[in-house]
Amino acid sequence: MSYVVAAYAITVVTLAVYGAHLQRELRRLRDGRER
Amino acid sequence: MGIEAVNERVRRPLGWALLVSSVVYAWAVVVAPIDSVQGVIQKILYVHPPLAYGAYLGFVFTAVGGGIYLWREREEWDRFAVAGAEVGIVFCTLMMVTGPIWARGTWGRWWSWDPRLTVTMLLWFVYLAYLVLRSFTDPGPRTARFAAVYGIVGILLVPLNYYVIEIFDKRSMHPENLERGSLGAGMGFPFLMGNVTFFLAFLYLVSLRFEVETRRARAALAAAGEVP
Repeated sequence: MSYVVAAYAITVVTLAVYGAHLQRELRRLRDGRER
Repeated sequence: MGIEAVNERVRRPLGWALLVSSVVYAWAVVVAPIDSVQGVIQKILYVHPPLAYGAYLGFVFTAVGGGIYLWREREEWDRFAVAGAEVGIVFCTLMMVTGPIWARGTWGRWWSWDPRLTVTMLLWFVYLAYLVLRSFTDPGPRTARFAAVYGIVGILLVPLNYYVIEIFDKRSMHPENLERGSLGAGMGFPFLMGNVTFFLAFLYLVSLRFEVETRRARAALAAAGEVP
């Protein structure tokens, strides 16, 4: 069971962190453009 | 309508579809039947192959973007290729993490130099090198042309990766490719939802990454004193 939880947790957390990183970078670039 | 306009229009509906799909997917995985041979670890089936398909699709985007760039010489297709490669590498890395976890639980070891696993590692290195080489070179038509050719040549590894088990006459520890009817009763729906959810997540991330690349290119042009 712990292997299954590990596989899903690693996948979900990695994709969420990567998505959040892209959103943050996009906000930074948009703000820079507006200034 | 250009690729940039399409990208901005589709992201919000994509995000909502991903949210709904994720909830249904999580429910489907929890209630999916326990496999009589492998036990609960078989549930990694609903995450590992969908990640592989996402990785393949990312590298196909890189090759297609590169091909259209060489044909039309429009910069946005080079940016599309970069977005495909980066998201493809994220999916490929996760595939190479979830696979060994499943292998440890079923084969008793994390890794085997089996044909499928070896070609997967090669595929991962080829597209990682694509991103690393791009990060070391100045952006411009020369880099984009080289990257396009590299991305197109690299895509030959995708069908090789998919069919390598058949090529090696099924002498592989890795299970054969899934076919219609090869899943047990009640396993088709969670597998379908896994594929739908990861496909939507893939498209959403590519959409974000493409816009990041576009805005970075415009910011660089503005910094150089050219009109973006």
